[in-house]
Amino acid sequence: MKPLKLTLLIAAVLAPASPVFADDLSDLKAEITQMRADYEQRINQLEQRLAVNESSTTELNDTIKNAPPAPIAKISTSKNSFNPAISMVLNGGFNQYQNNPEDYALDGFALQGEGELGKEGFSLGESELTVSANIDQALYGQATIAIHEHEGETEVEIEEAFIESLGLGNGLTARAGRFFAPIGYLNQRHVHAWNFADAPLIYRGLFGNQLSTDGLKLAYVLPTDQLFEVGATVGAGDSYPGGGDHSGIGDWLIYAKTGGDIGIESSWQASMSHWQSNPEDREYSGGHSHDAESATSALFNGDTDISNVSLVYKWAKNGNFRQQNFSLIGEYFLLNDDGAITHGDEFANYDGKQYGGYVEGIYQFNPQWRSGLRYDWVGSDHKASDSELLADAGLDGQYSNPQRSSVMVEYLPSEFSRIRAQVNYDQSYSDDDLQLLLQYTVSLGAHGAHSY
Amino acid sequence: MMKKLIALLPLLFVHTALADINIFACEPEWASLSEELGGEHVTVFSATTGLQDPHYIQARPSLIAKARRADLLVCTGAELETGWLPLLQQKSGNAAIQSGAPGYFMATNFVRLSEVPTVLDRSQGDVHAAGNPHIQTSPVNILNVAQALTKRLQALDGANAALYEQRWQDFNQRWQLAINKWQQQAAPLKGVSVVVQHNSWGYLFDWLGLNKVAVLEVKAGVPPTVDDLNTVLNKLKVTPANIVIHAAYQPPRATDWLVDKTGITKVTLPFTIGGNDESTNLFTLFDDTIQRLLDANK
Repeated sequence: MKPLKLTLLIAAVLAPASPVFADDLSDLKAEITQMRADYEQRINQLEQRLAVNESSTTELNDTIKNAPPAPIAKISTSKNSFNPAISMVLNGGFNQYQNNPEDYALDGFALQGEGELGKEGFSLGESELTVSANIDQALYGQATIAIHEHEGETEVEIEEAFIESLGLGNGLTARAGRFFAPIGYLNQRHVHAWNFADAPLIYRGLFGNQLSTDGLKLAYVLPTDQLFEVGATVGAGDSYPGGGDHSGIGDWLIYAKTGGDIGIESSWQASMSHWQSNPEDREYSGGHSHDAESATSALFNGDTDISNVSLVYKWAKNGNFRQQNFSLIGEYFLLNDDGAITHGDEFANYDGKQYGGYVEGIYQFNPQWRSGLRYDWVGSDHKASDSELLADAGLDGQYSNPQRSSVMVEYLPSEFSRIRAQVNYDQSYSDDDLQLLLQYTVSLGAHGAHSY
Repeated sequence: MMKKLIALLPLLFVHTALADINIFACEPEWASLSEELGGEHVTVFSATTGLQDPHYIQARPSLIAKARRADLLVCTGAELETGWLPLLQQKSGNAAIQSGAPGYFMATNFVRLSEVPTVLDRSQGDVHAAGNPHIQTSPVNILNVAQALTKRLQALDGANAALYEQRWQDFNQRWQLAINKWQQQAAPLKGVSVVVQHNSWGYLFDWLGLNKVAVLEVKAGVPPTVDDLNTVLNKLKVTPANIVIHAAYQPPRATDWLVDKTGITKVTLPFTIGGNDESTNLFTLFDDTIQRLLDANK
């Protein structure tokens, strides 16, 4: 049944057509020949293209083969194979003051060592030598030695010398040795990385420029998308405003830091820190003696704590810091002293507060030029059972409000050098002063990295 | 409350198991390559964009937070990131990404660098002692890096080794075909004389056979002086060039000066992914780069 149906169907279909085919058989043949020629041509073309591709693939394979192989041995990328990275910062300058710099005082604060004004006229600034390297698989070490001239004598100071864990894991970092205390923002940066030639008044007043710790530090970065870092230090407690020998922990500090980005162009960081110590015989060496016979300094014994908040905001077009960028930095400090001041055989109960801050804005308008403005202020509130002792300690003048405004311009010939001009209108004490600071700072050797 | 928390615990583990390797890429080209090779087994973060100069990046809080959680750093190396990456490693407290650890992958370690300076002296500018680090301008280099990165991914995530192999084979094939195509397209560029603003195109020129006549930024990292530019101008009188090239992340001041003086054709190349809107991945980066060079050479 089925085959029959099929045959009938084929017959029915072919019946009307077959005469046409029969007539044009030669046409059909010609058509097929034409088609074959077409196809052959196309196949030829394809073969040619394939050949071209094959040859260029061979060529490419050759290029890739000839391309230098992955050198497997070159894994170490230490800065200088086994030599430590060495860098030296040199600086010098020229200072001009309207007032006699010997008369300088910061009302309500007893100035220590480096807290006084830089030498007038030409002077060589601090020369810093930094040596750093990975010590082994677990430790990193860094030392910064500062050499400077003080009253005609060359002084060598160990600014920092610490060892630090190399990726302890889980966000933990431990450090031991001498290091800048993680209080505030500016304190942890070396002087050469500051935006102005001198320290803000509050740094000058509280620490004699910078607070360092001999001790231990532990930091922990939380595993969060936004940065949260907390940390603590314990130390000997002997550096100003601490003082004295402590058999155990002489000072301690806790801090918390957070920060992030706002889009691609802006970033910020905020921190809080708190430092405590119980100074033994903190020496007010800067104090002036009302009694010519007494050559000793006034001393403080008691409890001291300092709290800080800091805020940093940075902006760069497209986040490209190389071209233009803007930074806004602000900090505030508050110190509490509670104890007693003694001077010779005189004694006074003492309760003091010192506070102050600064705000600075820096604008880099092209890779070679930066400019900045800074306003800083301090204040104090001292209560003593015998106010004469405040004068002995150099803490008098507490009711004035010292302040200063600064403007600076920097020219950066390259990443490694800087020439800076700065003008201060200084109202640290009763006589207002106009100050001009010219300074060069250069860095030799290893390419340093600067923190945020 | 406690019960709810306990019920949520397994979710936490499931979440961490989803993304096997957390990659911190220093530049967008390595972020894109990591995505090509890692697929859904990696989470990739790029520390920079195509419009940022990778030499000068701030070690920002956000980058420290990302480095803290990274399993693998994929960076250029050869001192390109020396101003910021060591700080991130140091501050992150992350053992996985310390130098020499399996999670520390520097692309330049797997390519032979050219233009290694014979004299290391900063009077010559901010020279890179190891050689030219801008290896991403040649697709052949990228292939070498891709192979090494595949091995690293396999070492870090052995469970998915076969998948990484598969992705590598796939990428290798597509990339080689693409290189073929680019080479054919770029054939007219062979021997074309060019001026560059910053000396960062060596690998691209070697690959395509372009002829670098002069560099505007004579000393790397130092903006050219008028004298420098005039020297280039005089040089061009003797050996003329057809095109002047600058990277999208650099302001074209020096380039524009030259265009103004000589009427030479200016080309702004993306340099890396994100350098312009067209360059969205490694393939389109080279498509666009070659197209722009061809257009300028017409």
